[in-house]
Amino acid sequence: MTARYFGSALERDTVLQKLHFNYCMDIAYSGAADICYYTIKCIPETNARQKLVSYEITIEPEHTLSIGKDSFGALQAYGRVPVRHNRFRYMIDGVMEMTGALYEEAENADKTPIFSYPYGLNRSGEELEKYFNSLKDELEAAGREAKAPAYEKSMILMHRLHQDFAYEKGQTGVTTTAEEAWKLGKGVCQDYAHIYTALCHLAGIPCRYTAGFLVGEGASHAWVEILSKGKWIGLDPTNDVIVIDKHIKLGHGRDASDCHINRGTMRGYIGEQTQDIRVLVEEI
Amino acid sequence: MPGYDMLLDQTDAVNELLARYGVKFGIYKNGTFNEQLFPFDPIPRIIEAGEFDYLERGLKQRVVALNMFLKDIYSKKQIVKDKVIPEDFIFASSGYMAECEDVTPVKDIYSHISGIDLVKGKDDHWYILEDNLRVPSGASYPMIARNLCRRCSPETFRDTRLQDNRDYAKLLRRTMDNVNVGGESVVLTPGRYNSAYFEHSYLAEQTGSILVSGHELFVDDDKLYYRTADGGKTRVGVVYRRISDDFMDPMNFNPESLIGIPHIYDVIRKGNLALMNAIGNGVADDKGIYYFVPKMIKYYLGEEPVLSNAPTYLPFYEEDMKYTLDKFDNLVLKDVAEAGGYGVVFGNKMTKEQKASFIELLKKEPRRFIAQEVIDFQDLDIIEGNERVARKADLRAFVLMADEPLVWKSGLTRFSRNPDSFIVNSSQGGGFKDTWVLSH
Repeated sequence: MTARYFGSALERDTVLQKLHFNYCMDIAYSGAADICYYTIKCIPETNARQKLVSYEITIEPEHTLSIGKDSFGALQAYGRVPVRHNRFRYMIDGVMEMTGALYEEAENADKTPIFSYPYGLNRSGEELEKYFNSLKDELEAAGREAKAPAYEKSMILMHRLHQDFAYEKGQTGVTTTAEEAWKLGKGVCQDYAHIYTALCHLAGIPCRYTAGFLVGEGASHAWVEILSKGKWIGLDPTNDVIVIDKHIKLGHGRDASDCHINRGTMRGYIGEQTQDIRVLVEEI
Repeated sequence: MPGYDMLLDQTDAVNELLARYGVKFGIYKNGTFNEQLFPFDPIPRIIEAGEFDYLERGLKQRVVALNMFLKDIYSKKQIVKDKVIPEDFIFASSGYMAECEDVTPVKDIYSHISGIDLVKGKDDHWYILEDNLRVPSGASYPMIARNLCRRCSPETFRDTRLQDNRDYAKLLRRTMDNVNVGGESVVLTPGRYNSAYFEHSYLAEQTGSILVSGHELFVDDDKLYYRTADGGKTRVGVVYRRISDDFMDPMNFNPESLIGIPHIYDVIRKGNLALMNAIGNGVADDKGIYYFVPKMIKYYLGEEPVLSNAPTYLPFYEEDMKYTLDKFDNLVLKDVAEAGGYGVVFGNKMTKEQKASFIELLKKEPRRFIAQEVIDFQDLDIIEGNERVARKADLRAFVLMADEPLVWKSGLTRFSRNPDSFIVNSSQGGGFKDTWVLSH
């Protein structure tokens, strides 16, 4: 499920398929918040690979709502809940058209260096560097003959990482760095994406952390876009696949902290906080 | 030379008044907060009119170029594309904030208030030591000192023709009004435990602005409001903030911040508020970038720099690394990420072991350090007990970017009380002097 999609999907810009998506977040406090400020980044962007056809957001309880863009161009809904509450819920429901395109044109080359340096959670350490060094010969060999060396190298890195890192929930947290996750040897999509970003940086390939949804039921997903010959190509190391028409992109950044789907600041005695997230993406 | 002898007799009186006005400086050391008086020395630094004209030209030029640099970095990045500055020095720097990409401040002004630190060498030549473009402090100290000196020794000022420095508040207000998008002017303080709280309150009072804490401001409908005492709200058009970037907005920066205002950066993004200074300026006043400022001036303005940097080497470049290692004992080494006199070491003051481990670190992280020649700067006399003794001193000049660049005809002269120290920062326990600029 890799390079064979490359040729066929490359030129397509028609609608390959439609996806219906639904994302629900339900946050409950054992205490109560007197006021809460929220930012939600769960409105998929429109790009060469996907088109947002329609969407609807519902937020409870009473709230103010603004729509803007974050620093990386992702749409965000934000505002505050000015009333005392012990529950905050929001849902976004919408339809996407997936074009089947394999990449986004890197229209703004000025921004490339932002994604070329280690930052925040994607920083590598000694162990990850050791791992990278063990792959160096293979990468160099692949890079020599390739027409698109960055692409070839990143494919090798994706296959290797997929093999050498295990998917397991509950081992890592939202602030786990690439190096920490690598040492543990297991983690979730966020960890795959951070480690992968670190490896690409070590290989000199600009890349960006990407957040979104994947067809099916479950949680939100994360993958990486690498820059090859002026094109951002999505690679999903958790599943060892190229991103085409099953991944809905919400936005990108340097690491997960740039792409948090929701962020909040509460005042009051919150007590215990529980979150229930449901994501559904289906072909229609 | 103008006379200040009569003023010297009033030293104690002035210092007592300063204490009564609460001119203090808070210092955190080993986790405890101590507020101490910021000792005032009555012997002014005196700068001749012609000499100050020269400084003024150089300072304006430098700050104009730095503002153009900030605009360029957060938009087109032309100076990087043209390879005047290596990419690493921008994007791997902790001062660079990707959050500021394409966020254009009102009237393209990033550094409204710049504190430029200079020293005068024994060769009578002025050197720039560093640029402070984030939240430079210090203007209030010479302002109030002048005020109190005039009160204690009016004769001194009757007979001396010097520039009145009490107009700083007027210049600052002009700077605020220039970018105000419609609404109140406020000075945002982290609170009374901040080392410069005296200054925050004084500048608010002197500029006729409201002194506020984060919790008194809130965002509604993409605008910023001040909560009035009667429970109402009034729109804010400009915030002169004295909180560091990271703490400004828990929704966009450090989520742990309790002193910031949620969503204020989203208001700025939409152009509905002017923030002084803009967020992200750290990329331009980093000690690594300092090396490139003269190049920036040539690049953006096509002019030769009027004021020179202290001779600086970047171990990042192989040639400079070699020089740094060869002349290690003659150089001062600075960690580019540190400020306030921290992270500064002198090659000749290190023990053998310290030197070895420092050089190891330097080779491992060359981007992290700059090396500078130790400038033999002119000492200034201070009064210590009943004696006049010479001490190291620098000058922080203030450049305000209003509808045009303005240089305040005074400045904060800081001195080291320790005879062996070159470090004059107030956070390291130094004192200050008034700076007299003669009017002819």
